[in-house]
Amino acid sequence: MALVDVTKLEFSYPGADRPALEDISIRLEPGQVVALLGPSGSGKSTLLRALSGLVPHFHGGRFAGTVLVAGVDTRRSRPAVLAGTTAAVFQDPEDQVVMALVRNEVAFGLENLGVPSAEIWPRTDEALEAVGALHLAERRTSEVSGGELQRVCLASALALRPRLLLLDEPTSQLDPEAAERFLALVGESGATTVLSEQRTGRALALADRVLFMEGGQILADVGRDDGLAWLAEHRARYLPPHGESVGGAAAGETVCRLDGIRFAYRSGVDVLGGASLEIRRGEVVALEGPNGSGKTTLAKVAAGLLEPDAGTVWRDGRAGYLSQDPGRYLVRDRVLDEVALGVAGDQQRALAALERVGLAWAADRHPRDLSSGERERLGLAAVAVAEPDLLVLDEPTRGIDPDRKAEIAAWLDEYAAAGRGVLVATHDRTFPVDRRVSLQREALLAA
Amino acid sequence: MRLGTARRAVRLAPVPAAALLAAAAVAALLMDHVLPLAVLTAVLLLLCLQAQARLRPYLYGTGTAAIGVFLVWPFLQSTGIDVIWEGPIVPVLGQLDVTWEEIGLAAVSALRLAAVGFAFSAYALLLDHDRLVASASFARRSALAVALATRLVPTLERDAAGLAEAVRGRGVEVTGVRGHARLLSPLVAGSLERAANLAEAMEARGFGSGAPSRAPSPDWTWADYAALAAGAALVAAAVLWL
Repeated sequence: MALVDVTKLEFSYPGADRPALEDISIRLEPGQVVALLGPSGSGKSTLLRALSGLVPHFHGGRFAGTVLVAGVDTRRSRPAVLAGTTAAVFQDPEDQVVMALVRNEVAFGLENLGVPSAEIWPRTDEALEAVGALHLAERRTSEVSGGELQRVCLASALALRPRLLLLDEPTSQLDPEAAERFLALVGESGATTVLSEQRTGRALALADRVLFMEGGQILADVGRDDGLAWLAEHRARYLPPHGESVGGAAAGETVCRLDGIRFAYRSGVDVLGGASLEIRRGEVVALEGPNGSGKTTLAKVAAGLLEPDAGTVWRDGRAGYLSQDPGRYLVRDRVLDEVALGVAGDQQRALAALERVGLAWAADRHPRDLSSGERERLGLAAVAVAEPDLLVLDEPTRGIDPDRKAEIAAWLDEYAAAGRGVLVATHDRTFPVDRRVSLQREALLAA
Repeated sequence: MRLGTARRAVRLAPVPAAALLAAAAVAALLMDHVLPLAVLTAVLLLLCLQAQARLRPYLYGTGTAAIGVFLVWPFLQSTGIDVIWEGPIVPVLGQLDVTWEEIGLAAVSALRLAAVGFAFSAYALLLDHDRLVASASFARRSALAVALATRLVPTLERDAAGLAEAVRGRGVEVTGVRGHARLLSPLVAGSLERAANLAEAMEARGFGSGAPSRAPSPDWTWADYAALAAGAALVAAAVLWL
């Protein structure tokens, strides 16, 4: 008997002018691992929420068809009742954390489900150990890194021993090695798993079935090998890339030079122990390194947002910095004003910048009414509008689909070709750049 | 919460630790003498130092407020006969003179404020709030709301820093009260988004699905009972002698 049986599911969010899900019918057998692929806004997250019952119970909207999970009709049962049978890990771990301590966070779901008291700590520790986070058990959730928190969220899900595991971009904050380990654990859990991922290589390696969504519909529902063939024919950008992409544009004069940079946050532990880096005009440089290696810190030093404890920073001209998750940090009530903020209110330049990222149509809308992908493009326009000599971006491809990633890469190429330098701190080794620099703990090794 | 030196520390359960801190705050408010207040304040400060760098904003806030009280208090009082400094007569406030008695009263008030501030800092920084609220066998939802509200402060602090950094990243400096006030609206909007996401995640994790269980807490040790007794003794001593 199928664990999940979805029949003719249609769903529209309240006030939406078109359905988020249209005519979805799938059956998932126990133990299957499904790679759920598709562009941003295609309905992947909504489908995951429908499988956990959050759609329609939490979000409202118009719902038609049936979703049965382990024989339970999700329309008749609240998501809290399905919890335990299903478990979900969403994209942003910070928005999922309830408790102050890591161990209590993992125990939270077990307590909610009424698991016998004597079983709670053993299952908590077992789940933490499984994701390699037992050493974090007594740490505060507010003090662990985003990557560590993502592992804690997976531990919280695995501790429930769910039959259906729903993962929405669960590795977006992990470096490649940590992401490999994370997904290996998912594979070992034995649960039926639906995995939505934009870094498709790992998802396709793990999956035995591929679902491709677009416009709220399933375009392909096939086995892994057929899925690879389908992608090759119809959506080649979703195929795993072969090797790293390094361009090698002709670099001009130095725009920024960092020499022997040392930096420690308030905890007193050195994040950077003597890092050096040079960025030239006309090139896009990727700054890589594992979680906790100090990429973001070095990027902020390069942009002038942090003063190093030791070392020298030389920069020719102005720098602009786009933080991780820029859609969260929008400060004006109108899209045009958001962009104009960086050019002292010059609305003509702001409109031109919006046109370059394809958002001119949204000039009069509220920034928070835009989709997550649109907000990220808005963030990019808001930083680039002033045309800084050095543009620094922190994880700009996080949660971005392959088509949009290609657009951003082309945009950055064009930006650099105009005689400016671009530094991209990223985990994404497939992002096309001119030069890669690997930041290891306390050292910087030019690739 | 841990008491003692790094080598010989005693770990207290959340309830007796909270009771001891509450007793320390109450005792500080009841004490009238500078010396015992100074000792209590110093002990609480030493306890807070366990939090290391996280203590900084609390230390800054408490220290600034206490020093402010100490500096302003003598000018708001007209007590004592041992005049140290004789100032001008100011409308409404009267004569701005400072006496030794006023200095003593100012020190008591400042130390009271500092002691209460450090007791709260220790509560906020060192206690396992999750287990503290779990100890409330009644009103579990309300207790969880309190725990989430406690966590809201560092989250807001981080979001505010992120917003200011995002604006600086565009080459715009955030300065002055007006500049920071402009970040208030997006900060609130961001908090509401976070709250909605958190509510969704809690629902998906079975919150409110039925009768919850509770992870067992370790049995109280002699140190926990001693902490309760010490708290009661501290309040009694403050009432009777200090």
